[in-house]
Amino acid sequence: MIQKSVLLRCSPIEAFHLFTTRISEWWPLTHRPSKDPHSELVLEASGRFHERAADGRDIDLGRVVEWDPPRRLMLDFYMGTSADQPTAVEILFVPEGEATRVTVYHRSKPESAHLWTRRVGVFENSWQSVLQSLVNW
Amino acid sequence: MQVDPLDALGNPVRRKILTHLRGSSLSVKEIAALFPVSRPAISRHLRVLSQSGLVESHGRGARHHYTINLKGFTPVREFIDDFWDTALARLEALSKEKPSSKA
Repeated sequence: MIQKSVLLRCSPIEAFHLFTTRISEWWPLTHRPSKDPHSELVLEASGRFHERAADGRDIDLGRVVEWDPPRRLMLDFYMGTSADQPTAVEILFVPEGEATRVTVYHRSKPESAHLWTRRVGVFENSWQSVLQSLVNW
Repeated sequence: MQVDPLDALGNPVRRKILTHLRGSSLSVKEIAALFPVSRPAISRHLRVLSQSGLVESHGRGARHHYTINLKGFTPVREFIDDFWDTALARLEALSKEKPSSKA
């Protein structure tokens, strides 16, 4: 499991909104499968978690599993693995005085456990087979 | 110069070079013999692969050999670990930009 946290000087609900509705503003540009630095990332409470590039491409990055503001958000995450072998992200927003501790727990799931120590393929499917053969020998 | 491994992999000749380098170290000449493209073109591809960290070269001149550098392929766990370090630092920076609830 990977565990990371950061203390934000705002309330849990503000931290939750920052994380979700303003995700396009903080999501690292290096981790956008479209490679479009101006792409829009969308987390929908109803379930989708995707990237919309300026050229019209719409790429699923994961799925919203639980949307429970201001306490908790759970996602299935496809980056580094794939949609049929997702990893699981749990984000907790816990008040600490006037501030909020945002903690990310990132775990493998039964279907992705075997990939956890495997080398990252790339997002593009066409490369999958080559990388698979590279990492399996 | 640094090249993004994803860019390096975005070319069919370079992907084929990597599959040929699985398990064996090859010289530019040996690699060039496997492809219907010129040796300078193969050298350029090898340079891109080296700059992306996906292959390493050993030796000098005509004895230059290339091997796959496994460290160029990050394990998933490490990839995700790095991702969250960057992501949370950016989230924190963004939280400081916005006017606080007390303002």
